[in-house]
Amino acid sequence: MSEAAAAAKSEAGPRPEILGPRFVPNGIFVRRIGRHGALLAGGGMLVAILLASIFASSISPYDPIAQNLRNTLQPPGWAHPFGTDNFGRDVFSRVLHAARVDIAIGFFCVLFPWIIGSVVGGLAGYLGGFVDTLVMRTVDTFTAFPFLVMAIGVIAVLGPGVTSMLIALTLSGWSIYARIVRAEVLVARKSDYVLAARAMGYSNARILLRHILPNVVTPTVIFAVTSMVLVILSTVTLSFLGLGLAPPTPTWGTMIAEGRNFIFMAWWMVTLPGLAIVVVGLALSLLGDGLADLLRGQGSR
Amino acid sequence: MTIEAAPLLEVKNLSKTYAGRGAFLRSLMGRAGPPLRAVDQVSLEIRPREIVSLVGESGSGKTTLGRAILRLVEPSDGEIRFRGLDVRALSQKRLRATRRDMQMVFQDPYSSLNPRMTVRATLEEALRVHRMRPADQIARRVDELLEIVGLNPAHAGRLPRDFSGGQRQRIGIARALSVEPAFIVADEPVSAVDVSVQAQIMNLLLDLRDRFDLTMLFIAHDLSVVRYVSDRVAVMYLGRIVEYAKQADIFARPRHPYTQGLLRAAPRADPLHRSTTVAIAGEPPSALNPPSGCHFHTRCPIATDLCRQTRPLLAAAASEHLVACHHADHAVANWGASAAANP
Amino acid sequence: MSALLSVRNLRTRIPTARGPLTVVDDVSFALEEGECFGLVGESGSGKSMVCKSILRLPPTQCAMTSGSVEFAGEDLLAMSDRDLNRVCGRQISMVVQDAIAALNPVLPVGRQIGEAMLEHGIASSSADARQRSIALMRKVGIPSPERRVDDYPHEFSGGMCQRVVIAAALACAPRIVLADEPTTALDVTVQDQILNLLRALRAEFKLAVVLVTHDMGVVAQNCQRVAVMYSGRFVEVAATEDLFRQPLHPYTAGLMNCVPDIDAHAERTRLSPILGGPPDPADPPSGCRFHPRCPLATEQCRTGEFPLREVMPGRFTACVRHADLAAAGNVWALASAESSA
Repeated sequence: MSEAAAAAKSEAGPRPEILGPRFVPNGIFVRRIGRHGALLAGGGMLVAILLASIFASSISPYDPIAQNLRNTLQPPGWAHPFGTDNFGRDVFSRVLHAARVDIAIGFFCVLFPWIIGSVVGGLAGYLGGFVDTLVMRTVDTFTAFPFLVMAIGVIAVLGPGVTSMLIALTLSGWSIYARIVRAEVLVARKSDYVLAARAMGYSNARILLRHILPNVVTPTVIFAVTSMVLVILSTVTLSFLGLGLAPPTPTWGTMIAEGRNFIFMAWWMVTLPGLAIVVVGLALSLLGDGLADLLRGQGSR
Repeated sequence: MTIEAAPLLEVKNLSKTYAGRGAFLRSLMGRAGPPLRAVDQVSLEIRPREIVSLVGESGSGKTTLGRAILRLVEPSDGEIRFRGLDVRALSQKRLRATRRDMQMVFQDPYSSLNPRMTVRATLEEALRVHRMRPADQIARRVDELLEIVGLNPAHAGRLPRDFSGGQRQRIGIARALSVEPAFIVADEPVSAVDVSVQAQIMNLLLDLRDRFDLTMLFIAHDLSVVRYVSDRVAVMYLGRIVEYAKQADIFARPRHPYTQGLLRAAPRADPLHRSTTVAIAGEPPSALNPPSGCHFHTRCPIATDLCRQTRPLLAAAASEHLVACHHADHAVANWGASAAANP
Repeated sequence: MSALLSVRNLRTRIPTARGPLTVVDDVSFALEEGECFGLVGESGSGKSMVCKSILRLPPTQCAMTSGSVEFAGEDLLAMSDRDLNRVCGRQISMVVQDAIAALNPVLPVGRQIGEAMLEHGIASSSADARQRSIALMRKVGIPSPERRVDDYPHEFSGGMCQRVVIAAALACAPRIVLADEPTTALDVTVQDQILNLLRALRAEFKLAVVLVTHDMGVVAQNCQRVAVMYSGRFVEVAATEDLFRQPLHPYTAGLMNCVPDIDAHAERTRLSPILGGPPDPADPPSGCRFHPRCPLATEQCRTGEFPLREVMPGRFTACVRHADLAAAGNVWALASAESSA
């Protein structure tokens, strides 16, 4: 022991040196994406659909609202890959142009509820007490309210259109995000890194925005991506019920609604817009799954 | 160190009580469950530049006491004075400013760092919020802090997950140091790191104490760690301090039967002297339903009726040696006899 | 005397996204009847994986284990799953670190202790198993076992759960218990009780125990022989007294020097810790895996192979500089003498 003491006193014993990380993370992110086929496939499909819808005017062979009454109800063929409808409009061109509207509506009808729900749920979870009770009872009320009744109510007051649709979907959608974020915040609030932030003397706003929310958004982002297709389906429902955009602007919902009358004569009028919805839904589901794997792997041990 | 130095931190009769399980429903029905006294009228003084260890088994309330002193959990009763300032009377705003002087190092280096913030962002945030340096010097200060704790500043841009447990603990220490505190509560800072890394972290804390004149409350359950780092040691059992003395006195002449049992129970790295008897029988009782009188009487080899009835108060048994035992003299005689038998 | 259990050239590899990890690398040892054999090392050294590999319980299905584990004339690694099930739990049982997680939360503890006895035909009926469970619970020091046999795991403390797990491991009167950090999650006073219990049971049932731990004190107090593991390999194997008197590997010496002495008569001197941290299992250092942290490492340690060799009767080390280490007596004194020279 005395030798050890001598060694230690002479400071010849080892001292902690400047240490480096165990793992060099370069390229890990890239490799992770490579490992996730779902993410690549979903992302690829979605990018292709987005490009197709953005450049719809250049790609589509016909004007989506130009009628050609001499050429109605043509089955799919070389001239009209998806056939034509009862006004002789090219279904392929209409599907492409509708994608623009539907995806944009789907995106914003997810974005607004996501932001509102996250902030409200975050506050409820972090502040607790009276605020939490108030918010959660409001959430219960909104969750219990039937979607169509709310949508019809909003549209009855404001009239059909994009704005009404956005408001109706935001009103019905925010509560689920509030619920998810609140539950996650309740967990994160008890975590050591939040305790550490409190010990550092940080303000409540800083702790909530910088330390809690970035660590709880992951499940809401995944939910938002996968629920986008449900939102698109809701807009389809509203359009189908005639509560959506006014004709002749093509949306998949209105196309299906119009095609309904010709379902036995011209199956393509209903089926091919429906197929577009399925493809978008598949892309979003794959993307959501892939994101879930990717984001859950992040920030963990 | 002068013995008469005014204490940096004074804790008087500090208690933390949690409402019993299902307390809300039961109180509606008029029968509240028993409260859980995690910390039970604890008094403690810590002098400047001193490292005081708080040692006890799980459930002894040592972590709660450490957090209550920083008001990370709100104490139920009692007094905390830091440099004479009444910490419990501070408004939330003043308290946040005071946190600069009183810092914390956490047990779990994995969960105590924000997983989405780089090391640089974590340290910069602390420096900015408390305006520790002008904006143009912050980056340099981050590098400096990392060097102080033995990490390579070139790795500041990485996330916590890229570091090993010991390295993360160094990051946590750098974060605590960034605001240049006078007092640090270190809550089991080495129990979650590898054995070979424990000594590095302990040496780092000792060096930092000397370099920055730090005062520390060091929470631990491992007596060998406690012996290595502390100047004084407080032993806790079921929310109460049962013995408080200088490190050398605790290890050479423990006066409380519980301290003696803890010392006997620790396995010695010496195959030639093997223990053959159980040091303390039984399990720690539930804090929800603690034994009457002296909490330790259910496991104590020398307990009497007095112990079952009356709570022994922490009183001076020798110079700077406080003990809460009715039979401390008897206990110390026992210890002397057993030490003579097994040198 | 032939050994009760002979492990030869055990190697376990786990496939991961970053390539296969060799978590146990060419490990050989023999366990004698009634012996307590210590396996000591830090987290990630592969010590738990040795136990799991012996019973073919690695964490994933695709883990690859090679070598041989001979027990009663048969190779556990080569036998069919059905045959292995007759050994596992019957002749060789396991006690794990996290007892609370090891118990099924929705089954009374008595049923869990009795399960193996029914499975292996030790108990004739469930009433018999219940009676035997009560007897075992009394044996492992659970108070009033008649009352507690029908309680659920959450009604027991951590220490009592560990006693239940030990009772379950002993249910079929096995010859070997693989104890994987059985006391790491427990308080020191309860650890002391459990280790005393294991010692008493070992004597009573002539059990051989493989005791996995990271605590040199636990090794010193309990084991006859000990193997020190580092990065998947054995770096030193010796009788416990010899190992503590004179470690012949710098890592062993470092491990002993990491833990301060709690005895009052020992001087409180500054510890000389091992530099750095444990190696990344996916990318172990070349040559001797300890060389980046070793105060005695020379050029030759960076390359080449360093198998465990018997350097004195009963003493095995992987360090090429063991003679220098033995002559100097103290690794840090030797290191400082060399750095100043």
